[in-house]
Amino acid sequence: MRQVITNRRSAFKCACIRSVLVLATGFAAMSSSLASAVEYAEKEELKFGFIKLTDMAPLAIAYEKGYFEDEGLYVTLEAQANWKVLLDRTIDGQLDGAHMLAGQPLGATIGFGTQAHIITAFSMDLNGNGITVSNDIWEQMKPHIPKQADGKPVHPIKADALKPVVDKLKAEGKPFKMGMVFPVSTHNYELRYWLAAGGIHPGYYAPHKGDTSGNINADALLSVTPPPQMPATMEAGTIHGYCVGEPWNQQAVFKGIGVPVITDYEIWKNNPEKVFGVSKEWADKYPITHKKVVKALIRAAYWLDANDNGNRPEAVKILSKPNYVGADYDVIANSMTGTFEYEKGDKRAVPDFNVFFRYNATYPYYSDAIWYLTQMRRWGQISEPKSDEWFMETAKKVYRPDIYASAAKELIKEGKLSAKDFPDFATETGFKPPQTEFIDEITYDGTQPNAYLKKFSIGLKSDEKI
Amino acid sequence: MNISLSNVAWLEPVVNVAKGKNVGTNLQIIFKSLGIPLVGILVFLVLWSIAADRIDTSLGKFPGPGEVATQAKGLIKEHNAERIKAVAFYERQEIRNAERSAADPTYEATIRPYTGKPTYIDQIFTSLITVMSGFILASIIAIPLGIVIGLSENLYSAFNPIIQVFKPVSPLAWLPIVTMVVSAVYVSDDPMFPKSFITSMITVMLCCLWPTVINTAVGVASISRDLINVSDVLRLSYFTHIRKIVIPASIPMVFTGLRLSLSIAWMVLIAAEMLAQNPGLGKFVWDEFQNGSSDSMGRIMVAIVTIGLIGFALDRLMLMLQRYVSWDKSSATR
Amino acid sequence: MNPLLELSDVGIDFPTPNGPFCALQGVNLKIAKGEFISLIGHSGCGKSTVLNIVAGLYKATNGGVVLAGKEVNEPGPERAVVFQNHSLLPWLTAYQNVELAVQKVFKGKKSKAEMKAWIEHNLNLVHMGHAMHKRPDEISGGMKQRVGIARALSMEPSVLLLDEPFGALDALTRAHLQDSLMEIQKDLDSTVIMITHDVDEAVLLSDRIVMMTNGPSATVGEILHVELERPRNRIQLADDPTYNKYRQQVLSFLYEKQRKVETA
Repeated sequence: MRQVITNRRSAFKCACIRSVLVLATGFAAMSSSLASAVEYAEKEELKFGFIKLTDMAPLAIAYEKGYFEDEGLYVTLEAQANWKVLLDRTIDGQLDGAHMLAGQPLGATIGFGTQAHIITAFSMDLNGNGITVSNDIWEQMKPHIPKQADGKPVHPIKADALKPVVDKLKAEGKPFKMGMVFPVSTHNYELRYWLAAGGIHPGYYAPHKGDTSGNINADALLSVTPPPQMPATMEAGTIHGYCVGEPWNQQAVFKGIGVPVITDYEIWKNNPEKVFGVSKEWADKYPITHKKVVKALIRAAYWLDANDNGNRPEAVKILSKPNYVGADYDVIANSMTGTFEYEKGDKRAVPDFNVFFRYNATYPYYSDAIWYLTQMRRWGQISEPKSDEWFMETAKKVYRPDIYASAAKELIKEGKLSAKDFPDFATETGFKPPQTEFIDEITYDGTQPNAYLKKFSIGLKSDEKI
Repeated sequence: MNISLSNVAWLEPVVNVAKGKNVGTNLQIIFKSLGIPLVGILVFLVLWSIAADRIDTSLGKFPGPGEVATQAKGLIKEHNAERIKAVAFYERQEIRNAERSAADPTYEATIRPYTGKPTYIDQIFTSLITVMSGFILASIIAIPLGIVIGLSENLYSAFNPIIQVFKPVSPLAWLPIVTMVVSAVYVSDDPMFPKSFITSMITVMLCCLWPTVINTAVGVASISRDLINVSDVLRLSYFTHIRKIVIPASIPMVFTGLRLSLSIAWMVLIAAEMLAQNPGLGKFVWDEFQNGSSDSMGRIMVAIVTIGLIGFALDRLMLMLQRYVSWDKSSATR
Repeated sequence: MNPLLELSDVGIDFPTPNGPFCALQGVNLKIAKGEFISLIGHSGCGKSTVLNIVAGLYKATNGGVVLAGKEVNEPGPERAVVFQNHSLLPWLTAYQNVELAVQKVFKGKKSKAEMKAWIEHNLNLVHMGHAMHKRPDEISGGMKQRVGIARALSMEPSVLLLDEPFGALDALTRAHLQDSLMEIQKDLDSTVIMITHDVDEAVLLSDRIVMMTNGPSATVGEILHVELERPRNRIQLADDPTYNKYRQQVLSFLYEKQRKVETA
């Protein structure tokens, strides 16, 4: 052991000395021979955690396609029991990094739940979730949904159709319950967004009063259920529906126990989903390693979307191995290859259901971070009013496009990717232009978080407090 | 050593039949000790396949014996395939190291262990190592503690309530506490053991400590007055007394405790690994549950059979050890 | 006569929830070197208690025991005990059982070879030479008791304390062992205190028979001097009037003067 440590230290020292030498000999040498400028990772043996969901794909591909090894990284991928375990192990250093819910680095950094400074320099994918309700609820919703000419329901289905069902249950004194995967998960915010857009109150959090159940004033009671248990929990009648990633919506269709009513793509087109998170401490200690990891992940994401999703079948085959997602090929393929089955037999094309690289999916936009922060504020997870500056600062503390840019530039320099695959780093501000494609047609401008919050009829406004 | 022979009761009659000695009686003995259990297993397998066919789950039919056997073969195949990948991994690494050494003569190449997934066989070994570490650690604590408590009536009365309170605590209750403490205390940049291993091991230890403590203490406390008088008349010193009288006299009870502890350790381990993410059989079961593929239930059943067989083998091993070590052969049965 | 062992005014109380229970009171006894003393009395009369006090396993509440000019207050190998149910360590062979005692007593005084010879000598003395490497569960009750005696003798005790040594044995075995014991005692000139409730055994073996009264507060009732020629032969003595007179005296003490009232 000791021997290895000293070796690593001396290797690190060498790397430093060499980079100084490179600088001294000038940039000419650098461009003429890339090999001489090669940096070596400070930490070469790494362990990354993931949750068994299809959007962990960039990690699996970077490993299987040898992208990690190309960077001189020896990576072990390990499935984790749940999001909490994954986060805790990343914080205490058992994991070097992990596939995280976008809300996790933000939540941890601002101290909602476990407090720790987590950063991300790589966004793993867009979209990929769905909302499913039980057959019973679906039958009650159906009369309120407009029909297309062919008799199939018009999509997207709004929660307006669910509202009378919830009201009826409420009148009977029965609670309406739904499952989501984690308090700071995308699923929680998406489900809340969809419900609230249809006039169903999903309830507030009040962490300053010790209330982290998020059910204050709720019409719909949301609770945490691990993804694989969702269908069984709904079948048992404990919940009436859920919001979860794949393959657990499609599973309900196969099992005939429920109907997916909407995908998150229809709630907010091309919404950011998972990120690759590491602790700030780790990133500061191993900057070169971090950059190399991001490089490998960018290449993996590129591969996943290349040739117009042409590599997807191969990706599905890899993901269906038991050490990755492990679900059956057909189940994973259903969503990964661009279709989505709603009510049994109602299969529709959703080409962008899983996006890994297109639309700059991997770039960590500040505006994405701020959207999650606005939702945390909207539902009381952030209990105090915050200024626009605070939103900006927090986003910059957690989202690190600078690291992303340095990784991308190296890939361009090495000729592995071209500049047109990336945003123009010289002009990129980290803010997407105001987005309009939400189910309730409210425009989101990341530079104006407080003004954005004021537009919602349900949810805390800038100066409100529970 | 006829210890192993007495464990396989059917071996001697088989030898006798082969020699043509007393064929009738020996065949009867063979049928009793070998045939009846086999019939039992067969009946079980038949009932299992009939029942399996009738249980429908969201992942398809419940796996029958055939499906489980197929999955077991698949797991072994995966193991072999992974070994081939490991060889390729090391080859690539050698080349990479060589390139780097060429570019930088001061670089001291190191070989990093294979980063691929642990196979089922690897996971079995991880589980065995974890359970044995926890069990041995527990024994190192429990036996001396049991002796000291057993020697003094007052200590026994003082400790007994504490032991009785901790004894029934489930590993699932200990685990979060252990995880937090290990995270806080076991801090190292390059830890010799992964935290998940330490956490699982300590949880196993905490749960399997008690039967050994209790049985050792009872064994020591119930040493015949006569033997203690012998020791008194000989004026044996405290440690000679323990070495020459107490330990041998309480060995049968100590082993009763150790066997209970080991079976508890093995049961606890699976739960601990599920939560602590120690890459053993517990994690295998959890991961397969999460996978929810059509093979998952069959693979979990393979794990269940493996867990049962290993638990059984561990108990037999302890029994053999007890027979070998203990003077009281009659206590080492079942 | 200068007594080797002297019990003066020995009494003992055992604490019970209802206050102290007086088991023994005012026991006085002087024993000379080479004397064979039997303690006889009904069960529960405290004879074992006397022996345990001499052995040092119990502490007298009143009075005390002096052995060769030194007060006894803890157990020790110079007062070797042969227990009723042999008390051999079941995990050791006959040889190892004796060895444990020999190693403790002669550590630094005898060489390894000398110890071995001494252990074998003692086992031969009790006619156990042929089975010295057997373990207690492999030999008969009588043989176990022989090993127990060999172990006690091997400590070269000043006083040999026998607590109903033959009580658990069948009549034939018992007779054999009694003869052996007489022989050994003659050869070694040992001082012996033996507890028994067998009248014949007491008369056959003893120089003096100490008869105990019934408890509570048991004490020495009468002391009978047995002046029979040694060596004694049980077959000849069977018709001997003196022998029968002694026998009758003990019986009358036990069954007339100290009739035991059985309480349910």
